[in-house]
Amino acid sequence: MSSLAPWTEIGRHALTPEAGHDDAARFDVVAQLNTFLAARLAPAVRDSYEGRARQAFRMRNGHEPRDRREVAEAMARDPAWRTWSLVRRNTMEMRQHAGRQLVGRQAEALRDRARALNDGAATLHLDPALDVPRYVSAMDTHLMRGGYAAEGIADDVANPANYDAGLFATVGGMAGPWNDAAGRALASWLEREHPTFEPRVIVDLGCGLGHNTLPLRRAFPAARIVALDVAAPFLRYGHARARALGVEDIEFRQEDATATSLPDGCADLVYTTMVLHETSAEALPRILAETHRLLRPGGLAIHLEQPPYRRFEPFEQFMRDWDGRYNNEPFWTALHEMDLTERLVRAGFGRDRVFETECRAPTFKAATGRSEDFGRAPAWYAVGAWQTANGLAAIG
Amino acid sequence: MDLSLPLDADPAQPTPTVARGRRPEFTDNPMLDRLYSVTLALVAELAVTRTRLDTLERVLAKRGTLDAAAIDDFRPDPAEAEARGRLQAEYLERVFRELAAVAPSEAPR
Repeated sequence: MSSLAPWTEIGRHALTPEAGHDDAARFDVVAQLNTFLAARLAPAVRDSYEGRARQAFRMRNGHEPRDRREVAEAMARDPAWRTWSLVRRNTMEMRQHAGRQLVGRQAEALRDRARALNDGAATLHLDPALDVPRYVSAMDTHLMRGGYAAEGIADDVANPANYDAGLFATVGGMAGPWNDAAGRALASWLEREHPTFEPRVIVDLGCGLGHNTLPLRRAFPAARIVALDVAAPFLRYGHARARALGVEDIEFRQEDATATSLPDGCADLVYTTMVLHETSAEALPRILAETHRLLRPGGLAIHLEQPPYRRFEPFEQFMRDWDGRYNNEPFWTALHEMDLTERLVRAGFGRDRVFETECRAPTFKAATGRSEDFGRAPAWYAVGAWQTANGLAAIG
Repeated sequence: MDLSLPLDADPAQPTPTVARGRRPEFTDNPMLDRLYSVTLALVAELAVTRTRLDTLERVLAKRGTLDAAAIDDFRPDPAEAEARGRLQAEYLERVFRELAAVAPSEAPR
């Protein structure tokens, strides 16, 4: 457990909340609890399934659980699973609560600092008239009170400040001091797999607070980078955060990824990091179609997510599905059951140009040396597609 | 859709973080779920307090105010031991007041 980075190691910038000893210790306890959940309680759930629940299901049904729904049925009353779930849910709630207490008491000071950094900048475009999609406005995603778009005071940045501070704790620092492991993983994958690919225009859809946008700036210093999101507080915070970190030329725009203002064929690289699972069945195909529209010939669309369920046996699928049911991620299950390669084909990409791969942050080192906490390690499944030369699906 | 969010600026005021949506229950008794929440919060706060004590000892040791070994080597003298024993017994009485048997002399007749 000692390999978890303490919260005091978080990358500091002008918008990092001022945290006392116990604020930091509270985040560290959350990180330790998450590690304990993965290393000690989750194996007990598997033991309970293998040793008892699976057989009990077979006695009742004449066969073993065949898919994750039947595993869920077998485990519904399992004490080990219920305990793991109770601790996991409460750990998520405690992480949110600790962050809100920390940020809430300095929300106005953080807002003022963001205002000062954003003042007069031509690179922040907010659109108060934007219709925030319901999957964002109606949902307290991963128990974040109010959701991404909520504001308590004028020009509020409290939720993103909480998100930024708490994400470090949720993953025990494994995403690095700047919480940017996914962006670094993508940049590293591009450098390794496609060293001659030099995108001139990069679009980050659903950028949030831009933590996974900044690594692309370092990888491609000459590129124009446009980061889009529907949530004004995150764009305000993300733009200010980038400036505080010395990056002043990323455009942050409040736009819906299903219908952006960007022209056809303008981009060489369009990407998302952990965004698709937070959208909806209605929005997803439109977002994928939008990436197809935005790409110029030879351009790349790529999406980092958790792996699809089909790669796992039913018990692990069941464990991975927990967030969908108990962590306010309503599209989680559907997204992970979906064949995204097929969806990219339907969005207009040539079947022979669609691929799946893995993106791993270069400094990734498993903190526990054990299982990856059912999806919280800094390595991602990625699905992508290259735009064909004429922008149409390849023939033959 | 109302996206306004109450500001939790005053630490003395409650900070409700109840997320929208039904809160799942994992036991057959809502009171037990709530007891888990309180217990886990106490676990976390105790860990925070222990960490703070550890910090305090390390800071004092670094400043030379405290010999780090002095804590572990501490042996209470008889009077100190008695005072601490009383503190610990009173503490257990408070924590387990509802579980402990009523003292015979106070038992209802």
